Amino acid sequence: MTEVDHIAELEAVRSAFARAFERFARFEGGAGALPLDEAESALRELSELRARHTGRKSALAALKKQIGRVPVEERAAFGQSVQRLEAEIETRLERVERALKEAVERQRIERERLDVTLPGRRPRRGHLHPITLLRQRMEDIFVAMGYAVEDGPEIETDFYNFDALNIPPSHPARSSQDTFYTSDGLALRTQTSPVQIHAMQRRRPPLRVVAPGKVFRRDTPDATHNPMFFQIEGLLVDRGITMAHLKGTIAEFVRRMFGPQTRTRFRPSYFPFTEPSAEVDYSCFICNGTGCRVCKGVGWIELGGSGMVHPNVLRAVGIDPEEFSGFAFGLGIDRMCALMYGLDDIRLLYENDVRFLTQFD
Amino acid sequence: MLISYNWLRELVRFELSPRELAKRLTMIGLAVDTVREAGDDYILEFDLTSNRPDCLSHLGVAREVAALVGARVHLPEAKIPSLRGRAGELISVEIEEPDLCPRYTARIVRNVRIAPSPEWLADRLQKIGQRPINNVTDITNYVLHEQGQPLHAFDLDRLRGRKIIVRCARRGERILTLDGVERELAAQMLVIADAERPVAIAGVMGGEEASIHETTRNVLIESAYFDPLTVRRTARALDLHTESSHRFERGADPEAALRAQERAIALICEIAGGEATEDALDLYPRPIVRPVVALRPSRVEALTGVAVPEEDIIRILTALGFHLKDGERIEVAAAEQPLRFITPSWRVDIEREEDLVEEVARHRGYEKIPEELPASKNVGEYLYGEERRRTARRALAALGFDEAISFSFINSAYEHGFAPLPTLGGDEVEFVKVSNPIIEGVTLMRASLVPGLLEAVRHNFNHGTRDVRLFELGRVFARDPHGERPRERESLGLVATGGALEEGRALAQRALDFYDVKGALEAASEAMAAPRLEFEEARVAHLREGQAALVRLNGRAIGYIGRLAESVAAQFKFKQPVYVAEIDLTSLLEAEARKVRYAPLPRYPAIVRDLSIIIERRISWAAIRRAVLALGLAYLRSVEFADVYEGQGVPEGHRSLTLRLEYRADDRTLRDDEVDRMHEVIVRKLKDEFGAQLRQ
Repeated sequence: MTEVDHIAELEAVRSAFARAFERFARFEGGAGALPLDEAESALRELSELRARHTGRKSALAALKKQIGRVPVEERAAFGQSVQRLEAEIETRLERVERALKEAVERQRIERERLDVTLPGRRPRRGHLHPITLLRQRMEDIFVAMGYAVEDGPEIETDFYNFDALNIPPSHPARSSQDTFYTSDGLALRTQTSPVQIHAMQRRRPPLRVVAPGKVFRRDTPDATHNPMFFQIEGLLVDRGITMAHLKGTIAEFVRRMFGPQTRTRFRPSYFPFTEPSAEVDYSCFICNGTGCRVCKGVGWIELGGSGMVHPNVLRAVGIDPEEFSGFAFGLGIDRMCALMYGLDDIRLLYENDVRFLTQFD
Repeated sequence: MLISYNWLRELVRFELSPRELAKRLTMIGLAVDTVREAGDDYILEFDLTSNRPDCLSHLGVAREVAALVGARVHLPEAKIPSLRGRAGELISVEIEEPDLCPRYTARIVRNVRIAPSPEWLADRLQKIGQRPINNVTDITNYVLHEQGQPLHAFDLDRLRGRKIIVRCARRGERILTLDGVERELAAQMLVIADAERPVAIAGVMGGEEASIHETTRNVLIESAYFDPLTVRRTARALDLHTESSHRFERGADPEAALRAQERAIALICEIAGGEATEDALDLYPRPIVRPVVALRPSRVEALTGVAVPEEDIIRILTALGFHLKDGERIEVAAAEQPLRFITPSWRVDIEREEDLVEEVARHRGYEKIPEELPASKNVGEYLYGEERRRTARRALAALGFDEAISFSFINSAYEHGFAPLPTLGGDEVEFVKVSNPIIEGVTLMRASLVPGLLEAVRHNFNHGTRDVRLFELGRVFARDPHGERPRERESLGLVATGGALEEGRALAQRALDFYDVKGALEAASEAMAAPRLEFEEARVAHLREGQAALVRLNGRAIGYIGRLAESVAAQFKFKQPVYVAEIDLTSLLEAEARKVRYAPLPRYPAIVRDLSIIIERRISWAAIRRAVLALGLAYLRSVEFADVYEGQGVPEGHRSLTLRLEYRADDRTLRDDEVDRMHEVIVRKLKDEFGAQLRQ
């Protein structure tokens, strides 16, 4: 074979490739907006083309085999030409392949692009009742302050609900106008205070307990009343307990509940089971005492009743009031709930309207 | 109660603005709700505690102000210009019930002229919310608000037999009271009667007949002290609450009777003319004695945390009308000598040492008491089971259930048709009944949470919410024929209806069903680490047959679960299926917690085989599983439910059930032929016992 033949053969391979490659040449600069299916079939065809033109049985492979047979003096030059051709073919194939793969990849990405702003997938979540949320928070605060959470029956005897609490037989609170009675003559407890008596019978001083729970009063339901509501009762009995301890304890609770800036105010009041007695106010958590709509302009919000445990109450459970003294307090959870969440109608608390319940966390 | 600022200033001198006064009084326990400007005056509205009836007048408030600012109270002088005759010549008074009427006084003014009140008097009354009527009636009302003593004016000439008898009403007696209502009196009600009939309900309201009329010439002014309890009972029974009953039922000042009467008589003579009798008839068969109360000054510090010097204690109490009983200090070696105070007649609330401590503390000012935290000798602890309660709540909320709280009383319509919580005593449960409900018909203490939850579902349906999942933790009740109190159990109730909504997605992918509620119940009990709940098909009053189960814990029936029966659904007008469950929470809280013990991980692989069988529908999964496990195959490690299918290709009354069986040995890898043999045993068992066919 002559030199010319080698060259001619080489040129034939080159032009055969160029012809076959012609329809891919336009992708050398990028496959741009080629539709996905066309890009994918072009890729397949390209790989066939590669096999045909660069595979083991290709003209190019035959050409490479010829290198050894070329006369020694021409071999180097021919070899280089073949290598250049092979490199050229590879480069062009790769360039197009890359462009097509990129196009395919790009379009796949486009096709699978997500709307990341659609809502995440999770079952609808339920919500705890606002009374539960507040009650748990109060319990947590008092437990941290060393109190034991106590509990008592919701249907009570006169002894626990009234007598032991120093409420005289003639007291209006005992009337069937104010208190629910069962047909067996028991009272639906009108306050959590009877738990004081149960607690003092179960534990001896020194004791500190809180008792959250349901209570009942014969109020017709309206925007500010329900015949059933929740209170939390507190009781501490020990030697040497004074009103200063009552004030300190309530002030600490209120700061933990409403924030460290909250102040308290104690006003003389009257409850049959405490003496001296005090009504507790705390500075408004909205305006911090300057007066606003929530506190009706006075800067103070009523928290509840409190006082030093009446000696008759201590005596009713066999504790000597000369040896021990104690304080007690009772706070309304519903009222606090109404103020904290801005409820304008507390009947909502027990209607169980899902639109209401789902607002609390 | 309304108090006029100007009027108050006539009784005591002080230099406080109306608002300052309101604030100071509030801080000593006389709560002022509002201060309102009224022309040249200010009106203070008080919300007084029930133990302080002595403050229900301008005089009463003035006493507190005087103690507050260190001034004296000046009552206007009662000057009576013309005196004629003696009361006993004109009327006789007899008290039949001295315990109910410890004191009765009567004095007469003759030749009065009934006319409208002068402007100043009418104006005063109007400012404190009282309607002027005529001069004599208005004067009695005026003195009531000035001194707190209720008075009543009779037309002397209308008292038949010139006689006043304080007695109990007779059966069937009636009286037309001043408010124009004819009232029937009951036997225990105290009345003022003349020789023939009742002319007033004692301490509550006068009768129209013997009251002051335009033509009245001679008036009798009654000033009495009635037993508080009697007045309260009568006022309650008649539902008749007046300025007078309000004061008598809390306790009037028995020593104020004559003073207030004299003041009224003087005003009548001045304004309506006439001549007063020289004296009053004063019957005081049961003198009211207020106690002498001992106070150890050390008790002030022991109870309030603030030491108050003895002279300050004496100063405060004396300013409030207490008298130190001198020279009666008991000499006890080493013990503290108490101060002994005579309680003023108007202080019905003072009985013991602690009451005096409060008097001292409130006038010293509660704000002077420091804030201290008591040293703790106790550790904090939650209620038994509280952690379990909280995890159960969280588990249920995580599954989409909102927490409900319903009234503990339910309508009597739910007395039948609902199974009570089984732990209350099964079908024998007797409801606790409320004898004085406030909402009509709501007379039963609930024995199940279900009726309340169904009312909540109805409420939500009525407000356009159709996908509802609720749970409630609360007590249920039943009568206990043997105990002092009813049974109270803590219960957990669930209700679910509508679609299984996802957060933030409006369209539910599927409808909730029985297994959602069952799953929630299981999740809650698992969260509480309680033993596994068992479910057993059962007939339950309010549940649909075939979709109802009894729930057991350690073999004991603790609740029910199922789809609401059609009859109950119709009662609530529910058109979509509603699923409910209720279990006794107390049982779960008391159950021993599941203990976690580590099991070594298997060293050899398990072989898992699925087995699909066609089996009659009536054969329960639990029965199938039990049968397989009963074979006692040593290498069979678990039998799990994989899938259930009914419909095409499965004969009527049958279903296709797939079990997943896991075989494993601890000491080697099982061979296929070993597993085949065990599998064959299971297939045969299911065929023999239940007629199950292998599904191809």
